[in-house]
Amino acid sequence: MDMNRVTILYNRIALFRTERGVSRRELAEAVGVNNQTIGYLERGDYKPSLELAMKIAAYFGMPIELLFSFKPFESVADSLRRAAAAGE
Amino acid sequence: MTLLEKMDRLVYATGIDRILFRMIKPRTLRWSPVVVIAALIAGYILSAKNTNPLQPGFWIGWLLFYGAFLAAAFLRAFGPRFTGTGNHPLDEREMMVKARAHAISGVALATLAMLGCFYMAAADLPGFWHPHTLDWMNLGFGIQATGLLLPTLIASWMQPRALADDED
Repeated sequence: MDMNRVTILYNRIALFRTERGVSRRELAEAVGVNNQTIGYLERGDYKPSLELAMKIAAYFGMPIELLFSFKPFESVADSLRRAAAAGE
Repeated sequence: MTLLEKMDRLVYATGIDRILFRMIKPRTLRWSPVVVIAALIAGYILSAKNTNPLQPGFWIGWLLFYGAFLAAAFLRAFGPRFTGTGNHPLDEREMMVKARAHAISGVALATLAMLGCFYMAAADLPGFWHPHTLDWMNLGFGIQATGLLLPTLIASWMQPRALADDED
């Protein structure tokens, strides 16, 4: 990967938030940002600081690389399909 | 009820408290600052061209200019947040937007002031307009109003529009 190029930072905040039944407001309050900032983060319109990224990862109890990536994340459907194929 | 209590009630009844305590949901204002700045310029030109108070253009110019000045002061409160409160301090994204918008706005105003200086150096030549006493005062207020609005305009274009469900 060319490190000098402006890169897209993909994230799975919306996925984890929905899975845990957490509202944007609750997540925002937990990590100390404005509600709108969570919306901008989820849509990829804002790249968080390392501090904020680590706070969000800690909130979900996940390693940071499971939440943020320079490569697009595999869709949930593909992950399930792959898991099902591996289990057969 | 004392006068102070009446005044206090009036503040809450008119909703001014929402502006004072910054309880308004921040919005991206992409066009309204442009309209207000255009009104400031038009008002300034009209008031500078019509120096006689008996001319209707004089009053129209002053009303337009100072109406836009007041609108500039209010509009800033409805745009992206530049000032946090005790309960809701600015977060890292808002601080970044604020810093960039004010930096760009500062460069734009400094460039305008520089061009203005070059113009004023030539303004003594015949046929060139130059400001008189009241024009200088209006120019000062005009720069102040533009300085208030430019960061709002720039910040509004820097970030995508917030979605309605962002608050949920």
